[in-house]
Amino acid sequence: MSTPGARRRRGFSLGVVVVGLFVVPLGLRAVNSVVRPPDAAPSYIPSIESPRVRGPFDSAAVAALREADNDYILIGDSMAGTRIDPGHLSRLIGGHGAAALFHPGSGPAYWYLTFKNFVVDAGLRPRVVVFFFRDENLTDTLFRVYPSALDRVAGKQEPVLDDILAARARGTFYRLHGAIRRLYQYDQTRAWLEPLLIRAPVAWSAGQRDRKQLLESINNEVFTLEALRPMVAADMAAVSGEALDFDRNLSTSVLPEILRLSKASGIRVAFVRVQRRPTADGPPAQSPALQKYVRALWRYLDSNGAIFHDDWGDPDQPLSVYEDGDHVKKAFRRTYTEIFFRKNPEIFR
Amino acid sequence: MIFHSLDFAIFFVVLVAAYWALPRRGQNILLLAGSYVFYGWVHPWFLVLIAVTTLVDYGAALGMDLRPARRKTFLWLALAINLGLLGFFKYFNFFADNVAAALAMAGWQTPKPALDVALPVGISFYTFQALGYVIDVYWQRVPARRSLLDVGAFIAFFPNLLAGPIMRATTLLPQVEGDRRFSAAAARDATLLLAWGFFKKLVIADNVGVIANKVFALQSPEFFVLWAGVFAFGIQIYADFSAYADIARGVAKWLGIDLIKNFDHPYFAKGPTEFWRRWNISLSTWFRDYVFLPVAYRLSDRMTSDRRLLFDAATWAYVGGMIITMLTAGLWHGASWNFVIWGGYHGVLLALARIVGITRRRRRRARRWLSPLQIAGMFLLTNLGWLFFRETDLAQLVRHLGLSPFQSTVLGRHAGAYLFFLALLYSVPLWIQSLWAEFGGRDLVAAMAGEEERPVAWAMAVQALLAGLLFAGILVLRSTTSLDFIYFRF
Repeated sequence: MSTPGARRRRGFSLGVVVVGLFVVPLGLRAVNSVVRPPDAAPSYIPSIESPRVRGPFDSAAVAALREADNDYILIGDSMAGTRIDPGHLSRLIGGHGAAALFHPGSGPAYWYLTFKNFVVDAGLRPRVVVFFFRDENLTDTLFRVYPSALDRVAGKQEPVLDDILAARARGTFYRLHGAIRRLYQYDQTRAWLEPLLIRAPVAWSAGQRDRKQLLESINNEVFTLEALRPMVAADMAAVSGEALDFDRNLSTSVLPEILRLSKASGIRVAFVRVQRRPTADGPPAQSPALQKYVRALWRYLDSNGAIFHDDWGDPDQPLSVYEDGDHVKKAFRRTYTEIFFRKNPEIFR
Repeated sequence: MIFHSLDFAIFFVVLVAAYWALPRRGQNILLLAGSYVFYGWVHPWFLVLIAVTTLVDYGAALGMDLRPARRKTFLWLALAINLGLLGFFKYFNFFADNVAAALAMAGWQTPKPALDVALPVGISFYTFQALGYVIDVYWQRVPARRSLLDVGAFIAFFPNLLAGPIMRATTLLPQVEGDRRFSAAAARDATLLLAWGFFKKLVIADNVGVIANKVFALQSPEFFVLWAGVFAFGIQIYADFSAYADIARGVAKWLGIDLIKNFDHPYFAKGPTEFWRRWNISLSTWFRDYVFLPVAYRLSDRMTSDRRLLFDAATWAYVGGMIITMLTAGLWHGASWNFVIWGGYHGVLLALARIVGITRRRRRRARRWLSPLQIAGMFLLTNLGWLFFRETDLAQLVRHLGLSPFQSTVLGRHAGAYLFFLALLYSVPLWIQSLWAEFGGRDLVAAMAGEEERPVAWAMAVQALLAGLLFAGILVLRSTTSLDFIYFRF
C-alpha cells in the first residue's frame, strides 16, 4: 500500500508532466525572437497565418499576359491542365487565342487571386475568363489554401480574401487551431526550421558542384508528372455533408467576390464543372445533396450573368478516356479541348 | 474515429472524466458504449459486424462450458462465422478476381462480381482477439465468461480496436473484470506514451511516408531512388504502427488498463527469429500459438520416421509449419499477392534461420563483434521484405528486383542519397530511442516515466521537458500531409 505522501508525490509528478507538456513549447516564442529571419513580414492573410518570409509575386507572368492580350483566359487546377490544350484551343478560336493559368493543386483562393491580380487589377480585358472546378470546389474556401503557392498570385495585402478565410475558419477546430498557433507561434519556427531540414541532406548527397541545383533537379527531373504511374485511386475523394449546403457556404466563399469583380470590370466569367471519374456503366454517381448543390449553383451563376457548363453525364467523356483519378489521359487532351470549344457556344460566341 | 482528430480529443477527455466517476460495472458499460461510439463514428454499420462477432463468440464459449460434449461443434461454429465474416468483407473481391482470372486463362469469360463495400477497419484485429478468447476457452486456458458486458468490452475495447495490439483473454479480460483505481503515476506514464506516440506518427511516419509515397508513385524509379523509398517505407511502417501501439497503450493506461508492448526495437534484431520476437509481438505470438504450434504438431505427428533427407522430423515440422503460418500471416495483412509473397519470404527466412541454427548450434559462441553485422544484415533483409510488402503491382515488383546500381544516372544516385538522408534525418529520434534501449538497457520513454514510488525532482523535470519537447516537435514539424495509420488497411 502506498502512503498518502507517495500518492501526493505521484500526483505532483503527473501535474509537472502536464504543465511541461503545455509550457515548454512556449519556448518556441523565445527561439523565434532570436532566429526569426529579418525579412519576415505580416502575411496578406493574417487571420490564418503568422508573419513569415513570402515568395515573390509573379509579375513576369502578368507582363506576358499583357503582351499576349488574349481573348480568353482559363483558370483552374490540374483537372483543367490535363484537359485543355491552350495552343489547340487558340487555333480553334482564332484571333488573340487563349491563355491558360492552370496551377496543379490549386483551389478557389488561388483562382480568385489569379483573376483579381493577374487579370482585373492588371488592366486586362479578355472577352471571357473561364474557371474550371469540381463539384463543390467553388464554395469550399479552405480547399487547398497553400500560402507558398498563393504568394505567386497574391498582392501585398488581400483584405477581402482574409475576411472570407476568417469567416470560414470560425468553426471550433479552426478557432482552436488559431489559438494554439497564436499562443506558440509554431508556424514562425516552422518557416525557418523546415527549409533548414529539407536542405541539410543536400550537402551529404552530392558533390560541391551538383549541390546548388539538386533539389530543383529532383523536383523537375525525377518527380515529374510524366514519371508518375497512373493511380486509379488518386484524387477521388467525394464530398458530403455541410460542404454541399450551397446557401450556407456561399457567403464565406470567393464566388460572390469573383462575380462582383466581373461586373465591375465588365469581364464575362464562365464556370465549367469538370466530370469526376465515371463508372463503367455511366457517369459518376451524384448524391441527392450534390444534385441539389449543383442546381443551386447554376441558378446563382445564371442570375448573376455568369455562364455555367456542366460536363457531368457527357457521353463523349466515358471511363475509357480517364487515367488517374479524375484526370483524363494525355491522348484525350486535344479531343477534350475540341469538345469544350464545340459545346460552349455561349463562351466562344 | 482516429486518434489524431479533434473528435477523438473531445471524446477521450469526456470519457476519462466520466469513467473515473463511475463504479466498476458503470465503467464497463461506459467502456462498451464508448467503444461502440468510437468504432461506429464514421460507418455505423460496422457496429453490426462487431456485435455479431461478440454475440457469436460469447455464445460459443458459453456453449462449450454448458455442453462440454459439443465443445468442438461450438469451436467450429465460432471459427466458421468469424473467419466467414472476415473472409467475406476482406477477401471476397480478391478471390473473385483470381477465380475470374483463372477462368479467363481457361477461355471462360465471366463477369467479375465485385463487392462495393468499405473494408470494415479493424476487423482483422478484433476478429483475432475474439477468436483467441474462444480457442482459449476450448483449450481450457480460460473459463467461459458469463457476463456479456465484460466480453463485449473486451472485444470492442477501443484503444486497441483498430490496429492492435491484439490482446489475449488471459491478459485483458481479468483487467476488464477487475476493479480499477486511478493512478497518477500510470496517467503520467500514459501522457508520455501519448506524446511519443503522436510525435512518431505525425512527425516521423507522416514525413517519411511522403518520401515513400512519392517514390512508389514513380513508373520507373532508378535503383538508388527506389531503395531510398524502401528505406523510407521501412521507417514509416515502424514509426506508424508502433505509434498506434504507443497511443493505444497510453489511452488504455489512462483507463487503468495495461496493454502489451507490441514492438521492441525490431530493427536491432540479429536474425529473423529475433525480428519476429520484436515486431508486432501480439500478432506473431497469436500466429505462433493458434496456427504455427497446432500445424507443426500435426505435421510432426504425421511423420513416421525420425529422420528424412538432411534433417530430423521436428525440423521438417518446424519448416512446414512456419511456411504455412507465414503465408497465412501475409494474407492476413491484405487481400493481395504481394502480401502472400512477403509472408512466404519471411517464412523462408525463419526456416533458413532454424536450419542454419541447427547446423551451427554446437559451434556457436558468443561473438559480440558479429552483432553489428548481424543487425545490419537483418535490416537489409527486412527492407527487401518491405519492398514486397509495399509494391502491390507484381509486374513492377519484378522490374524493381531487376534494377542494377550500375545503371543509375548521376542524378539518380544523388536523388537516392538525398531521399535516404532526409528519411534518416526525420527519424533520428526513433534511432536514438532504439539505440538507448539497446545499449542503455531500458526503453527511453519507460526509463523517463519510471515506476519509482518516490519520483525524484530531476526525473520529474526531465519528464516534463521531454513531454514539452515532443509537443513542440509535433507543432513545428508535423507533416502537412496527414496519412492514415497504415495498419487501418489490414
